[in-house]
Amino acid sequence: MNERYIQILGISLTVIGFVFIAFLYWTEPRTIAEMTTKSQVVLGTYEIDKAKFASGLVSFRKDSFPDARAAFDQADPEKRDAATQFYVAYSYYRQGWGRLSNDDALFKPGLDAINRVIVIDPHFRSYDENLKMKMPVELKNELEEGLKITPSDFNPMKLLRERK
Amino acid sequence: MTTTEYTETDEIVIDVDTADDPLVVGSDVAVNRIGPENTRPRRAASFYILLPLIFLTVTLLGGMRIGSTDSAFIFLKPPLICLVFAAVLMILFFRARLIVLDGWFNERFSGLKHAANATVVLSVFAASTQLFNSLLPEKGLPFWVVGFCFLWTLWNNLFAEFDTKKLLRSLGALFGLAFVVKYLILANLTAPNSQGWIQRIFENPAKEAFTWVLDLSRYGAATGYLQFLAVILFLIGLLLTPHSTTSHQRD
Repeated sequence: MNERYIQILGISLTVIGFVFIAFLYWTEPRTIAEMTTKSQVVLGTYEIDKAKFASGLVSFRKDSFPDARAAFDQADPEKRDAATQFYVAYSYYRQGWGRLSNDDALFKPGLDAINRVIVIDPHFRSYDENLKMKMPVELKNELEEGLKITPSDFNPMKLLRERK
Repeated sequence: MTTTEYTETDEIVIDVDTADDPLVVGSDVAVNRIGPENTRPRRAASFYILLPLIFLTVTLLGGMRIGSTDSAFIFLKPPLICLVFAAVLMILFFRARLIVLDGWFNERFSGLKHAANATVVLSVFAASTQLFNSLLPEKGLPFWVVGFCFLWTLWNNLFAEFDTKKLLRSLGALFGLAFVVKYLILANLTAPNSQGWIQRIFENPAKEAFTWVLDLSRYGAATGYLQFLAVILFLIGLLLTPHSTTSHQRD
């Protein structure tokens, strides 16, 4: 082979090698499977596992929230799908909601999840008829209010409110 | 490269590589010329493909650790000091003529050759950075102690009279010792991570104390093997690195 072609091949291979190594150190995958998923994200071919998402949705509708979140996490391991992350946030809200008081330990990760939705797709809107809150800002407001202690928390009428 | 053979008919046969050094041959010897078409592609493949491949492998492995509990990959970015050490090491390579600047970057060379040589030198620099990343303890007192030892040695070497062989021997000893310190001595002082902390204190009180006092990182046993491979590959890569891309062999 001509020396020039070898030099071109060498430069190309080295550049590809550097890009691959930079990608690994930037994304820090922990397993080979994670490496594949992160590669899909970088290449723009990332898609959620629709079967796992459907299974999560079934659990969500049965109020089996930990199971639902486990399925959603498997469906969207990179946490890059707005709809899946919206359901994750909603599951934290519904599980943490209480007539007397809310569970802050569940509302906080819910707030993180809904913030992810806003970052991924600021104009996201859910079309699920079973959900009373369709927009991320509504859910975010509910989660933030749930985490605060305000005089309205001591209003006895609060006992009559409904979970959304 | 010139090799001399004596054939059965007492004829002296000299193989001359004429890629860069045309020789004047006497009339009493037969000469087989190994033309550029025979040796250059092989040499070029060694310079521009094999060497970067070796150094890129070291670059990949240098910051890689294996988790102690879940055997997950952990990729550690090199701290800034590793870049400084690698820069000093590159100066050492040039001073000891392991890499002769004029032989790698010369106005006679084409732009393509310059670019190809630059990528090889860049891969040497990246591998050096990652090798220091591999051999420096990650944090705590050992990081400062070993880091200081590296700095002391490299700084002294900067002002020492070196030739290539002495430099390679010195680096082999330096990296070998650093490997022993981190992956044999300190790794054996680190308590395993597989049990709860109370159980660990009762079962390995001394190791747990060392781990806590020295702030040692807990990694899987496979990490040591990976880093051993990285050190060996780096030294092999240095041995294979030519002084110059125009000459054919190391002194």
